[in-house]
Amino acid sequence: MEFDFSAVITYFPTLLKGVGVAALVALAVALMSVLGGLVVAVISIYTNKVVSAPLRFFIWLFMTTPLLLQLYFLYFGLGEWILIPAVVVGILGLGFHYMAYNADIFITTIKSVSGGQYEASRSLGFGHWRTILYIIVPQAFIRSIPQLGNNMILMVKDTSVLSAIGVAELVYASQYAISVSFRPFEFFIVIAAMYYVINIVMELGQAWLERQTSYRH
Amino acid sequence: MDFDLMVEVTPLLIRAAWVTIDISSRAIFFGFFVACGLVFLQTLRFAPIRWFARGYVSIVRGTPYFVQLLLVFYGGPSIGLRLDPVTCGVVVGAFNIGAYMSEAIRGSIESVDNGQTEAARSLGFGRAQTMFYIVLPQAASLMIRSVGVLAIVLIKNSSLVSIISVVELTYQAQRLIGSTYKPLEIFTLSALMYIVIIYAVMGIIELAYRRATRYTTQ
Repeated sequence: MEFDFSAVITYFPTLLKGVGVAALVALAVALMSVLGGLVVAVISIYTNKVVSAPLRFFIWLFMTTPLLLQLYFLYFGLGEWILIPAVVVGILGLGFHYMAYNADIFITTIKSVSGGQYEASRSLGFGHWRTILYIIVPQAFIRSIPQLGNNMILMVKDTSVLSAIGVAELVYASQYAISVSFRPFEFFIVIAAMYYVINIVMELGQAWLERQTSYRH
Repeated sequence: MDFDLMVEVTPLLIRAAWVTIDISSRAIFFGFFVACGLVFLQTLRFAPIRWFARGYVSIVRGTPYFVQLLLVFYGGPSIGLRLDPVTCGVVVGAFNIGAYMSEAIRGSIESVDNGQTEAARSLGFGRAQTMFYIVLPQAASLMIRSVGVLAIVLIKNSSLVSIISVVELTYQAQRLIGSTYKPLEIFTLSALMYIVIIYAVMGIIELAYRRATRYTTQ
């Protein structure tokens, strides 16, 4: 066994392009899953059962089935109706998956904001939805940051799964280079190292964010 | 909904679900030993071994399971590691969950009050005796649930093994969707099977938890 990283160096720009695609996908998914999760959580807590029951069912369904199965379903299911690029399917699939996980977090943190906050706000003249929007949600959001951070770190690692439906992220970008150079070991080691670095940076960022927000409650 | 089709593909999916159960249970079983080994290595006095164990856990947790799988399956042969797909799924699954599990086990051992160890030691228990008779039984109740959650994550992650062409539930589902063009029917059935498997595991965890805490008041 001899290691030869020259092919990796030749195709390094391709890998970097893959990192770029993965980063864009991750950013879109983060926005979609955090905002969507918040909306889903608020709706499923503060509305009647007819609206909240289906939402909770979807949260439950996305949390109890594997990501890859959901991706295949979305990929083939949407493919029947409209022709959309794999990147969009990937963002939607990963977005819905983590939206469910984030909604689950928001539901517990929103419920953990004390009822006294709601009563105080109402007695100061805020309406029902204004209280939720200006008083409850900001406090709940700050409490959710540690768990949201964990989910987003998991999510970035899961972007690698999107290569299965043909999203041109890091793993997919390396496929061609590997099939030409016959150096799978070297390529996957480098890819793993890239993910590891991204992961460490994200963990540091998460720790920083937690320090910044922890004094408020 | 095409119910005839659903009836027709059910046996195929059930057979594939058995493969999922088989791979996952073997990975969880061997993963437990990997985890115990890692926890043990981290208690040793010789620092480089401790660093190795910590580094291993950090790297496994910091890289995607999917990439680990591809690295071992496609990259393995170039360092003389040739595994058939099923074995590869079990081995990578075990070494992956082992790293996560070792953290869960270590955390639950550390959360047992230090006074328990001190009291046991002062009553004449040795270090190993203290661990096995005093600390571990108390840590077990905490361990069961966190290890159980990891087991469920592994079952869901086992779907990734389909990429290296193991005919498990997700692989079969994808193939059937591709050949029948009925994504909703196939998805409903295969999702149902994952849900059944996961709820069965959750039931086992709950039973184990009740047994571990049967003498605990609270």
